Amino acid sequence: MMNWNLYSRGDKFFAIVVSVLVGMFTAATLYPFIYIAAVSFSSGFAAQAGKVVLTPIDSTLEAYKYILIQPEFWLSYRNTFIYTIGGTIMSLLFIIPGAYALSRPQLYGRRFLNLFVAFTMWFNAGLIPFYLNMRDLNLLDSMFGIIIGFAVNAFNIILLRNFFESIPESFEEAARMDGANDFQVLWKVFIPLSKPAIATITLFCIVARWNGFFWAMVLLSSEEKIPLQVFLRHTISNLSDDDEFAMTQLEAAYSAETVTAAIIVCSIIPVLLVYPWIQKYFEKGILLGGVKE
Amino acid sequence: MSGVKLSQLVKRYGDLEVVKAIDLEVQPHEFVVLVGPSGCGKSTTLRMIAGLEEISGGEVTIGDRVVNRVAPKDRDVAMVFQNYALYPHLNVADNIAFGLRIRKTPKDQVQKMVAEVAEILGLTPYLDRRPADLSGGQRQRVAMGRAIVRHPLVFLFDEPLSNLDAKLRSQMRAEIKRLHKRLDVTSIYVTHDQVEAMTLADRIVVMNDGAIEQVGTPMELFLNPVNTFVAGFIGSPPMNQIRAEISGSSNAPVAKIGDQLLPLPASADVADRMGADVTVGIRPEHAEVHSLGTSPLNVELELVETLGSEALLHTKLADTPFIIKTETEEHFSTLDQVSAFSVNPHQIKVFDIDTGRVLGQAGA
Repeated sequence: MMNWNLYSRGDKFFAIVVSVLVGMFTAATLYPFIYIAAVSFSSGFAAQAGKVVLTPIDSTLEAYKYILIQPEFWLSYRNTFIYTIGGTIMSLLFIIPGAYALSRPQLYGRRFLNLFVAFTMWFNAGLIPFYLNMRDLNLLDSMFGIIIGFAVNAFNIILLRNFFESIPESFEEAARMDGANDFQVLWKVFIPLSKPAIATITLFCIVARWNGFFWAMVLLSSEEKIPLQVFLRHTISNLSDDDEFAMTQLEAAYSAETVTAAIIVCSIIPVLLVYPWIQKYFEKGILLGGVKE
Repeated sequence: MSGVKLSQLVKRYGDLEVVKAIDLEVQPHEFVVLVGPSGCGKSTTLRMIAGLEEISGGEVTIGDRVVNRVAPKDRDVAMVFQNYALYPHLNVADNIAFGLRIRKTPKDQVQKMVAEVAEILGLTPYLDRRPADLSGGQRQRVAMGRAIVRHPLVFLFDEPLSNLDAKLRSQMRAEIKRLHKRLDVTSIYVTHDQVEAMTLADRIVVMNDGAIEQVGTPMELFLNPVNTFVAGFIGSPPMNQIRAEISGSSNAPVAKIGDQLLPLPASADVADRMGADVTVGIRPEHAEVHSLGTSPLNVELELVETLGSEALLHTKLADTPFIIKTETEEHFSTLDQVSAFSVNPHQIKVFDIDTGRVLGQAGA
């Protein structure tokens, strides 16, 4: 229990202001989730009428029934998993060794190479040149193209490079004296010491891949290769355009709103499941005890 | 067992020469301590021997092999780092075994060797712990275990005790000494702490500004420093250095300090400087204290630091700070009345005022 007597009036005021701000921020972040979930379980009529605020109105599972019976939903779900897992692995394969190399003082031309990587963060080719490039590489409408085309991200490289640079040099030196080569230094010392940073960029990669929408829409034309986010978009536009669907809506227990919300809920679940598992690697002070400065 | 030889060893960073063509021969089994102030090049020298720092000039020989172009892992040396550099994600046993596993030592042998080292260092109960769960002294021992488990030709220590508190430091000092006695491996030890150097070394190498000032056994350095730098570095507290003018006769020279006269040992060098200024060096422990009126040199007592069996008297001799170290037992009741001291002329060093080099071979 906190002993309030130990705090001055200013401290108390500060604590209260901070608590209020955190509370407001939490509510603002949490509410859209609750709202979407509530909509997905409401009847189409209630959702359309804007009656849903916090809890489902006229609870029904119709929206879920509608999407779960569609084979395209399951196909796009599978594709999203492939893009996310494949893409994240591919990213780590490029980012970790790249960041390690860029972090080593003995790398020849290190400053220039670092600048080169950072450059791509501020400037890139833009939509059409990139599209043409992918076309020339025969990577249009290709699952592999999606996986490899966005594997390297300068921001993640720089993030991890900075972390590697913060690891005391004596770790590398000790490993070298122990007989480790470059690869072993990276694999047996730097990667285990960098778990928090690697967990962070893994999460970044997973989230970016999972939500990856724009380039998948631009580059993929086959229905059987699209990820969930693109399927979601197709569904939204289909439902809104579909006159027949609009006609049936009055009686139907679902609507464009509830179906969209249901797809969103389905697409959020895996990320929600993965996050706590990754979070345990966000250990603070992993270096604690290894060196004493 | 191998010695280590440095010939004309140079380290340059751009135009800055941090190690200036040093020569040193470390005998097999010997424990040599490189000591000097921060930035004197001692750690750089050690790192060049380890192979962690490129050699700008000269040669490093380990055993009978020039190792300038040999990778650190192939030099068969082991190093204990100042910050230990223990792998925090591995437990004590795995930390010690790391080098063996990298070198593909058979599993049962690794286990045996780790157990043996743990036994020597008293780490057996802690083999399953992570470095974070160990005390400073235990971490230090793990760092040493990692070095000794490989049975290297040479041990390198880079200020290994500087992160420990005073009590632990003296314990570990003794432990390193015992370990060296037991393993008898050629060791090169870097420190800025002259007490560590004095207690551990077979021979001490005093470095300053990238060059070696003097090499010798601890007592040689203590009794016969070749210059004012070594005199001021070795010994605790260091040698008192006072500016004085030489007068008297060549057979019986005296140093004129203010208006007081201090008899000096006769030598040709000193006689040559008749009438000139020199630096006179007197070890604090060589000054014998007296009460007023009985002695040749009067001092003004400013402060008494009692250390237990000894006391440091901070005095002023002709307006220059002068420290006297004395046993407390016989003088305790009269310590605060000390006002003069005498010193055996043979224990006095005379240094050139400009070069700082010792004059004559007085007291040798």
